[in-house]
Amino acid sequence: MADKLVADKHLRYILNLMAEKKKESFESVVMDHLRMNGAYWGLTTLALLDKLGSVSEDEVVSWVMTCQHESGGFAGNTGHDPHVLYTLSAVQILALFDKLNILDVEKVSNYIAGLQNEDGSFSGDIWGEVDTRFSYIAICCLSILKCLDKINVKKAVDYIVSCKNLDGGFGCSPGAESHAGQIFCCVGALAITGNLHRVDKDLLGWWLCERQDYESGGLNGRPEKLPDVCYSWWVLSSLIMIDRVHWIEKAKLVKFILDSQDMDNGGISDRPSYTVDIFHTYFGVAGLSLLEYPGVKTIDPAYALPVHVINRILFTK
Amino acid sequence: MEEVEEEVKRIVEQVKELHDSSTSFVSSSSQEELSLRNRASVVDSSIRRLHSTLASDKHLDPKLFEKLEEDLQRAKCMLADGDTSSFLPSKPQGIDSEEGCFTVLKLFEHVLESDPLIDEVGFIHPSQFNLLDEEAGSSSVYQNELQPNNETSRKFWNQDHKLGISTDILVQLCKDAKHVFLLAFEEYKRHGNACNESQIENFSCSPGTPEIEVMRHSQAVLLLSSDFGTAWNARKLILSKKDQLSAFTEELRLSGLILSNSPKSESTWSHRRWIIKMISQRFSTPQVIITKESELVESIGERSKMNYRAWYHRCWLVSYMAIEQVIQELNKSKRWAGLHVADSSCFHYRRRLMLKILESLYVKGGNAYDKSEARKIWKEELDWNKELVERYVGREALWLHRRFLSLNWIIYFACNDSDVSPEPGESIIMNEEIAIFIDNEIHLLESSMTVLDTKFEDFQAQALHAGVYMLWLTKKMPELWRMVEEKLGTEKVKCVLSTIAQERPSLLHHLVNV
Repeated sequence: MADKLVADKHLRYILNLMAEKKKESFESVVMDHLRMNGAYWGLTTLALLDKLGSVSEDEVVSWVMTCQHESGGFAGNTGHDPHVLYTLSAVQILALFDKLNILDVEKVSNYIAGLQNEDGSFSGDIWGEVDTRFSYIAICCLSILKCLDKINVKKAVDYIVSCKNLDGGFGCSPGAESHAGQIFCCVGALAITGNLHRVDKDLLGWWLCERQDYESGGLNGRPEKLPDVCYSWWVLSSLIMIDRVHWIEKAKLVKFILDSQDMDNGGISDRPSYTVDIFHTYFGVAGLSLLEYPGVKTIDPAYALPVHVINRILFTK
Repeated sequence: MEEVEEEVKRIVEQVKELHDSSTSFVSSSSQEELSLRNRASVVDSSIRRLHSTLASDKHLDPKLFEKLEEDLQRAKCMLADGDTSSFLPSKPQGIDSEEGCFTVLKLFEHVLESDPLIDEVGFIHPSQFNLLDEEAGSSSVYQNELQPNNETSRKFWNQDHKLGISTDILVQLCKDAKHVFLLAFEEYKRHGNACNESQIENFSCSPGTPEIEVMRHSQAVLLLSSDFGTAWNARKLILSKKDQLSAFTEELRLSGLILSNSPKSESTWSHRRWIIKMISQRFSTPQVIITKESELVESIGERSKMNYRAWYHRCWLVSYMAIEQVIQELNKSKRWAGLHVADSSCFHYRRRLMLKILESLYVKGGNAYDKSEARKIWKEELDWNKELVERYVGREALWLHRRFLSLNWIIYFACNDSDVSPEPGESIIMNEEIAIFIDNEIHLLESSMTVLDTKFEDFQAQALHAGVYMLWLTKKMPELWRMVEEKLGTEKVKCVLSTIAQERPSLLHHLVNV
C-alpha cells in the first residue's frame, strides 16, 4: 500500500531506460520501432516532475531529427518508415524543449495534410489505414505547428462525429466499438477545433464514469475489462474536456495509481503488483497531474503536454 | 693487376648470379603468390556458392544444414583471418562480408522455407524442447547422428507444421533479422530488383535477388517482431507490383501465421485489411475471403478474449457484406456469443451487424430490406438476450446489449412506420406498443431486483445493471421513470435507487432533470 508518489525513484527508472544503449531484453529489441513514442512518454514524465533538465537536450533533439524521412514525416527510429504516430511524438518532444523552430514546418505539415482523405478522415501513412487516432494526431500536431488551415477542418470534424455510437462513445471508425483511447482522441480533436458542442456530454460522461471499478478505484477502457492505469489518462482527460470529472471518485483513483508503483525500483505498472513499463509510468503520472496531485506539474488534457509548454506555444508568434 | 681484374670478374659473376637467383625467386614466388591468390579466390567463391546451394536446398534436414553451415562458416573465418587474408580478392561491402555470423538467422530462414505449411509459431523456453518431443512422439532421426541431444544447441523445434523458437536465441535473432532486413530493403530501394551480375550468368534469379531477399528477411523479422511496420511496408511495396492473386493469398497465410503468436498485433491486422482492399480492387471481392476472415477472428477470439483489434477487423468486414451475408453472420455467430457472454466485443459485433440491417431498411430504389423480416430478427435477439440475462446473472455485457436492442426497438419498430429513417435526437412519443414493451422491461427489472443471496456478487451486480439499464432508457424517454414508479411502488423504487447509489452515485443526478 503506497501513500505517496516516489518521484525520485521514477526519475531514476526513466533515466536508466534512456541511457540503456545495449538493449539486451527482448522487450526493448521488439519495441525499438516505436522508440519515438517511448521517448515522448519518458520525457513528458520528466517534464511533469520538473526534471527535464536531467537529460541532454542536444542528444535527444539531434536523434529526433535523424528520424525525419524525406517526405517530412518522422519514423519511430532512424532508418524506419514514417508514420503520423511518430510524427506527433517528435513534434511534442521538440515542443518540450522549446525547439520547434528547428523544424521545417512547411515540410512536416504538408506530410500530415497530405494524409487527409475525401471523407475527412486521416490515414496513418501512405498505405491508407484509417483510424480516428490519426484524426486526433493530425489536428493536435497541426495545431501545435499553427497551420490547422492546411486541412479541411469541417470535414475532419464531421468524420469524427460520424464515429459516435449509440452509447455516446467513439470508436476507430464508424460503427466500431467505443473505446476509452479512441474517445480521448475524438474528444481531444473536437476540443482543439472548438467543436465540443457536437458531443452529447451527459451520455458520454455516463459511459466514461461506468469505467470505474468500485472496489479498486481503477478505470478500465471498455466494459468487462480489468482496470488499467493507462485509462487514468484517457478516461480522465476526456471527462475533464467535457466537464464531467466530478462523476468519478477521484480519491479512489489516486490510490489505485499510487498502489501500482514499484516503490523500490521506480516505474508504474498497469495495475498493482504487475511489471512496470515506461508507457504506464507516463500515464500514471499524467493521470495524477489531472487529479491535481501535489508535486506534479499541470498537464493539458487535449494536447497531452505540460500546460506551460502549451502556453509558450499558443502565446508566441 | 690481375688480382683486381679477377675480383671484378668475380663480383660481376656474383651479381649476375644473384640477379638470376633474385629474378628466379621473384618469378617463382609471384607464381606461387598467383597460385595462392587463385586458390584463395576459387575457395572463396566455392564457399559462397555452397552457401547458396545450402540455402536453396529445401529438402535438407535442418540439423545437417546447421552443421554444414557452421563448417562453412569456420572455413570462411579461417580464410578471412591470418595469412590467407592477404591473398583474398577485395570484395565490395555487402551482407556476406558483415562480421556477424548470421548462422542462426540463416537456419531460421531455412526452416521456414523448408516447411511452407507452418501454421503456428511460438516462443518456447529451451527446457520445453524435450517435452514437445515426447508429445509429438518422436525426435528427429538425424539428432543422434549429428549431435548429442544437447539442450544448449537446440534453437528451433519443428514438427507437424508447428514451429517453436527457443527464447535463448530470441534477442540476438531479432537484432540480426532487423539489421539484415534493413540492409536488404535499402538495397532494394536503391537499385530496384536488378539482378547482380553473377546471377545474370546463371540465367535465372536464384535466391538472392533484392526482392526475394527483402521478402525472406521481412518474413523472419515479422515472425519475431510483428509490429515492426517498416517490414510490413516493404512487403506492401513489393506486392503492389504483383498481379497474381496467389501472391496476396500467400500474404494472408503469412499474416495468419504471425497472428497465431501475436493476436493483438495492430500492424498485422492492418496489413490484412490492405491485402483485402487490394484483392477487391484488382480482382473482385470473393465472398469466401470475407467469410474466412470472419471465421479467423472468431477462432482467434477463442484464445484472445475481447481482443479489440481482432473484433474491429470483423466489424470492418461488414462494409463488404451484402445484406444476405449480414443475416448469415448474425445466425452463424450466435452460438459462439452464447458461450462467451462476458465478451462485450462479440456483442458489439452483433450490434454492428444489426445496425447494417437498420441501414438497409431505408435504402432507396426498391432495394430496401423487408421491415417485417427485420422486426422478426430484432424480436428474436431481444428474447434471446432476456434468456441469457436470466441465466447468466450479473453480466454487464448482456445488459449493455439490451440497452441498444431496446432503444432501437422503440425508435425503429414500435413507433416508426414511415419509410424515412428517424432523426437522431428526435423525441420519442409514447404509444401503446411502446407502453407494452416498457411494461415488460419493468417486469424484468423487478425480477432482477430480487437478490436471492446477498453473499453472491453476481446477484448484486444483476440488480445494479438492471437498475442502471432502466435509468439509461429514461434519459431518452423521461416519462419512463413515472411508469417505473407507478408499477413498482415507492419501496421498490427506493431499493433500485440505493443499489445504484452504492456504486454509481453520479448517475443518479440524471433523475433530477426528469
